[in-house]
Amino acid sequence: MRAEIIPAFFLCALAVPSWGQQNLEAAYRSTGSAVTAAFESQRAVLQTSSAVILEGREESGYGVVISPEGHILAKASEVIELKNPAVTVDRTKYPEVKILGVDPEWDVALLKVEAAGLIPVVYAPTSAVPQGTWVVANGATTRTTRRLLAGIVSAKIREIPASGGAALGVVLKADSKVLEIDAVNEKSGAQEAGLKKGDVILAIEGTAVRKIEDIAAALKERKAGSTVEVKLRRGKDEVTAKVRLAAKSELFSDQMNRNDQMSGDFSTRRSGFPRVLQHDILGSSKIVGGPLLDLDGRCLGMNIARANRAESFAIPVEDLKAIGARLMEWAAKPRGQDSVD
Amino acid sequence: MPLACRLKAVMKTLLTCLLLALPPWSGVSAAERLYVNDKKAPETRKDLEVIQNALISALPKTRAATVGIEIDEGSGTGVIVSADGLILTAAHVSGGVRKKVTVVLEDGTKLKAETLGLVADTDAAMMRITDKGSWPFVEIDREDSARLGDWVFALGHSGGFDKERGLVARLGRLVRMANSTFQSDCILIGGDSGGPLFDLGGRLVAINSRVGGELQENLHVPMSEFIKNWDGMLKGEFIGEGPFAKKPVKGSGFLGLATDARPAGGLKVTKVGKKTPAEAAGLKEGDVIHKLNGTPLAKREDLQKLLKEMASGDEITLELERGGKTETLTLNLGAR
Repeated sequence: MRAEIIPAFFLCALAVPSWGQQNLEAAYRSTGSAVTAAFESQRAVLQTSSAVILEGREESGYGVVISPEGHILAKASEVIELKNPAVTVDRTKYPEVKILGVDPEWDVALLKVEAAGLIPVVYAPTSAVPQGTWVVANGATTRTTRRLLAGIVSAKIREIPASGGAALGVVLKADSKVLEIDAVNEKSGAQEAGLKKGDVILAIEGTAVRKIEDIAAALKERKAGSTVEVKLRRGKDEVTAKVRLAAKSELFSDQMNRNDQMSGDFSTRRSGFPRVLQHDILGSSKIVGGPLLDLDGRCLGMNIARANRAESFAIPVEDLKAIGARLMEWAAKPRGQDSVD
Repeated sequence: MPLACRLKAVMKTLLTCLLLALPPWSGVSAAERLYVNDKKAPETRKDLEVIQNALISALPKTRAATVGIEIDEGSGTGVIVSADGLILTAAHVSGGVRKKVTVVLEDGTKLKAETLGLVADTDAAMMRITDKGSWPFVEIDREDSARLGDWVFALGHSGGFDKERGLVARLGRLVRMANSTFQSDCILIGGDSGGPLFDLGGRLVAINSRVGGELQENLHVPMSEFIKNWDGMLKGEFIGEGPFAKKPVKGSGFLGLATDARPAGGLKVTKVGKKTPAEAAGLKEGDVIHKLNGTPLAKREDLQKLLKEMASGDEITLELERGGKTETLTLNLGAR
């Protein structure tokens, strides 16, 4: 349901200096240094087994180290467009980063740096831990030292459907009798697949579409990140294109709701995940991609989105392991052999 | 949407509360108070586990008593504090007294409820479930035992009720305490308004109210504010002048029809305005209104006089004659 939500208020400032009030020093607040110091053993795991992804000197995300040879999982949509990414693990900077594969449905990329002897994360046996369980994730970082933020598992594990439904990313001409494309969204799979203004959509996944409702029906059960085959008429030709679907509200996000305005910073892609573990660690949207640890320092999952001011999502460990294995297998497969032989 | 408009106006008025001394320390036995609250910060794995285990064991009971509130076009959160269904929430969620609301339990069960009184200047409000039953409830911190630095957790239907997700919990500490406001670092968002803030024993210490621009600014109304105004709220009084709820103005109620007195008694409806409460309630031309809230109506002035004393949102009951039959209609007055 999307009922209008009663918003909490913004306080611009406390207009009158307050007296007689008690204040807890910053160090003792939940994100303060005295409190986070209690998580030193988990921080040590972040130090060795989380990766900082850098663009120039700026950190643009984190990653999970999954092999001693330098395989790292990260949030695909945050790293894929970096021009010159580098990675830091512990105190070592790796200037060369390859993207070996991407799982678009989960928004996970497999990265590789030339390394040896890295310490991969230890997976927790299950993500099915009670609400209220402590979790630890990357906070900010310095060049040499990882910092941490701590929080709790805050809600039930569940699917986050694509917000607004999965969409191709095209605007159709309003007064046309056919499904003629009027504009292609720049961030969309339609753009990547080369769809153009003037193309007429004829079929999706082999099913003929004639009106806008047909497209909605064809995409209804599909997930963001998955790909559909679209048949088009371009001039006199018929062409087919494989188009990656994305959450509609993330493509056409000119209207922020009130909670978005309140949230300040949130991940561009924050919906359309098959399963997430929710927690209340709320750093900047740049802290996604790193591991979510339990008190034993084991990996409960990988942070995948800061959804809003109060909710963060992680891919649960079972799914993360499967995604990692799938991407590793795919990357290891020899390809293009016929042309080599 | 009227709700947002109302809130916008409220947002302009900032909280400039005068801060009085905290009420005297009063007796909560040391046994009830977890030692981690009195440590400046947790230091050991055991300290962390004590916090975690207390939270995990407090969650089932506190969640069961925490409800979604659907009201007008908005939604918020509230918490049941008695078996017969008394609910505490925020005044800006309730918005007024004697309004009909729907309360949603975490499993999706919807219950009928009505708003009781509220404190408009501190954002406290009461509601009551009107459906018959015995409801899960939480204990209130009546002794004002919460202290600066205590570990607390907030519950709420962040962003609105979501059955798949359930209630969202956030852990934090009480970081600022003033007379009529607590601040915690449990991070709130729209939809959490009116939801509960608990100590690690699962006792209700405050109600979620509002946030600032920073993640650290999450403000709650302490239980002492509720206790101070308990009887008035229970009686359905509108206490205070705002900014969290706007007092209905007498005479602002709007029905939306024209009548003529009948020699035989009652007022004959001669016109029903389009998109008015009268039309929405199904009043038709030719209906004869005999009574409003039990008071007989002989001339038009009788109706006007009664409406003058009422405000928008007030519920009225009309006794009608339609096609020779007597009918009763209940509706809420609109805003003029």
